[in-house]
Amino acid sequence: MADPIPTAEIISEDQTLWHTNRQPAGCPHCHRVYLVPTDYRGGTCPLCRLGTLEAQPAVVRRADPERVLPFKITRGDLGSIFQRFVAGVWIKPPEFNPEALLRNTRAVFWPLWLVDSDVTGGWQMEAGFDYQVESAKEVYSGGGWQSHKQIETRVRWEPRVGHIVTRVDNVVTPALEEHNNRMQMIGTYPLECGLDFDPALLGGAYLELPDLPPEAAWPLAQPDFDKAVAKICQQAAGAQHIREFISQAQFANQNWTEFFLPMYATHYTDDEGQPQVVIVNGISGAIQGPRLASRQRGNKIARITAAVAGGLFLLALIGLLLTAVFPPAALIGGLVGFLGIAAAILAIIIAIWPGQWNRAQTNPHIVKRP
Amino acid sequence: MDRDLNQHTHWAPPEGFHPVDSQVPGVIVYAPMPEQTDIDRAVSYACPNCGANTGYNVAAGGVACEYCGYVAPVNAERVGRSAQDFEFTLETLAQARQGWGTQRQVLHCDSCGADLSMPAGALTTACAFCASNQVNIISIPQETLRPRFLVPFKIPPEATVPRAKAWLGKGWYHPDALAGNTILRRFYGIYLPFWTFNTRVEAKWQAEVGYQKTERHYNAHQKRWETRTRTVWKWENGRVHLNIEDLLVSGSAPKHLSHRILNQLHPFHLGDLVTYTPDFLAGWQAQAYETTLTDAWEIGKRTIREKAKKACYERIQSNQVRNFSMSADFNDETWCYILLPVYLAAYRYEGQVYQVMINGQTGAVAGNKPVAWWKIWLAIAAILAPGALLVLIGLLLTLLGGVGIIAITFGIILFVIGVIISFSLYQHARKSEAQ
Repeated sequence: MADPIPTAEIISEDQTLWHTNRQPAGCPHCHRVYLVPTDYRGGTCPLCRLGTLEAQPAVVRRADPERVLPFKITRGDLGSIFQRFVAGVWIKPPEFNPEALLRNTRAVFWPLWLVDSDVTGGWQMEAGFDYQVESAKEVYSGGGWQSHKQIETRVRWEPRVGHIVTRVDNVVTPALEEHNNRMQMIGTYPLECGLDFDPALLGGAYLELPDLPPEAAWPLAQPDFDKAVAKICQQAAGAQHIREFISQAQFANQNWTEFFLPMYATHYTDDEGQPQVVIVNGISGAIQGPRLASRQRGNKIARITAAVAGGLFLLALIGLLLTAVFPPAALIGGLVGFLGIAAAILAIIIAIWPGQWNRAQTNPHIVKRP
Repeated sequence: MDRDLNQHTHWAPPEGFHPVDSQVPGVIVYAPMPEQTDIDRAVSYACPNCGANTGYNVAAGGVACEYCGYVAPVNAERVGRSAQDFEFTLETLAQARQGWGTQRQVLHCDSCGADLSMPAGALTTACAFCASNQVNIISIPQETLRPRFLVPFKIPPEATVPRAKAWLGKGWYHPDALAGNTILRRFYGIYLPFWTFNTRVEAKWQAEVGYQKTERHYNAHQKRWETRTRTVWKWENGRVHLNIEDLLVSGSAPKHLSHRILNQLHPFHLGDLVTYTPDFLAGWQAQAYETTLTDAWEIGKRTIREKAKKACYERIQSNQVRNFSMSADFNDETWCYILLPVYLAAYRYEGQVYQVMINGQTGAVAGNKPVAWWKIWLAIAAILAPGALLVLIGLLLTLLGGVGIIAITFGIILFVIGVIISFSLYQHARKSEAQ
């Protein structure tokens, strides 16, 4: 039997791949590797925004990718998505606005593995078959009985064993270490809407390459294969439910191909000058990223407000001093003093709020990688 | 596909499994083989030693030959009340509604090769040509609706007539000739069909319950305090949980068998239930059900709901109840089809036919007995006479100016008591004679 898991190859930095004019480039900061048009080299990494893309070899399967899910969200749609995203942040960093986010947006396709394999082996399970029983309800009212029949669905469990010889196609498997994190952030994709791979569908988007080669991704794929086998066996037995499924299936003649999913990545710069990356699901428009407030701007506004409060206190003091010669001045002084207190409280709130808000931004960070 | 078949050949299913249809090419599916039992074949009973006819012998506890003494033990498991029961699946109910039909069935005798005709409802017969006992269960149209359990006969046939005679001799108002030797000659042992039902009932009730309340109030007209009692009605509700276990409903049609007499044979001890095997039926008669599962369940439900209603009423702390309503939810309803042993006999007395039954397990006897009505009338006359006589004496004493009123009063009381006793006696006698 041939080695069931195909291995990836090293593609040198000057080679093009998959009938495109793209070549490998990597980010020395986050170690992500992309397949990009040559002129993208030297640009900023679209996902960490900290490193510069440099020509480098890539470890990748030479076979063409299988599917691509084209973008459904256009750049025109992004304006309103960003508008809603920044709304609600009170004291924003200067760059945290829809225009800047749109300006910084890059389109990225990120990969999944589609795995096909021959499956051969014995299996056993408890198969559950639905059946219906009639139950009675008797009602006594007005001196007479009325009978009602109720139908309940129950499950009859029976053992089944068997043998399977089939091929299971297109089991979706993570191709990136951060697959689950990314899915958690921007949600799932309608994979059934994917199209056959065509370089024309890529447009100018960055093509992120898998960082989990097949041999590393197989332990993640196998449970899904087991589920697929269980589902086939359930279907074969004509059962509506299964439990205690055990398979001794062998997997052979595997074929691993990529499925690329669309995503937008953008960023804004925070107070410390660090880029904060925001990503958008290219199909659903789900958006995720840190929404930071500006502590610097907050402190500046708080200082101005505190100065106003100090001026008001001074006026209030003058008013109180004038009370001896002009008694109504006490009332004016008291009012101004009250305004001073309010301004002082406001200044404290403004100074504290950005820090508190930023602490609540516990979104998973996109940039950090080991 | 050839490649697939070759790859399947390297795999063998575990023992006791057989292939079933697969709905996906490339996948073969095996299921446990259905249980094969003796029920699945018609059985003829002939002695392996002498070739004579054999049958189940109560005293020997096995299939015995009365000529050479050969006894084969019966291989059956005692399951008692843990006998498997079945759910009311829609499939079973649809089958049950079809009933047995009325056609006769043909049974092949393994002993002499003859083809025998037997009524649709009969499970046993004796071959008319070689007299061997035949037990046939395979022609039952629905797999699930065949008897799975039975209570074997414990009372031997020879004990039936003495028990019946003792029973016939009881009671002073029956003809003296009943206790004679010639009335009852033979009982026929027959396994009768019964349905048993189990369910849990969750009943909810509500009603207006009346409570007597005594209170004092001031009567303005008569200017005084008075005490009066009035009924205060309150809405009350409650829940009752009822476990019904092994409710027995006869599967015989009432036109063939008096259910009133049959009910008097209860209880049957279902702890003695054993798995069905045709050996128990050899040489005995056995009847298949005539009342279908659905009809029997309707009878059972009526019984159960009345029990639930009674249980709800028992929760009410007062006798005054109005606007009572309730709902009874049946849960986990199950049924089982069993055979119970009964001896049947009929006798004629003065041109009239009377039925007697004996519980083949406990020996309880029930049936109809003729009544010597002259004894009843004589007894009624004797019961009423003292009261009537006392009234007459009282009248005479009154006419003579004596204190006859006391005798009249006692006479009337005695007469009324006599009427009540006489009526009860009359009813009892009618019931005894009734079919």
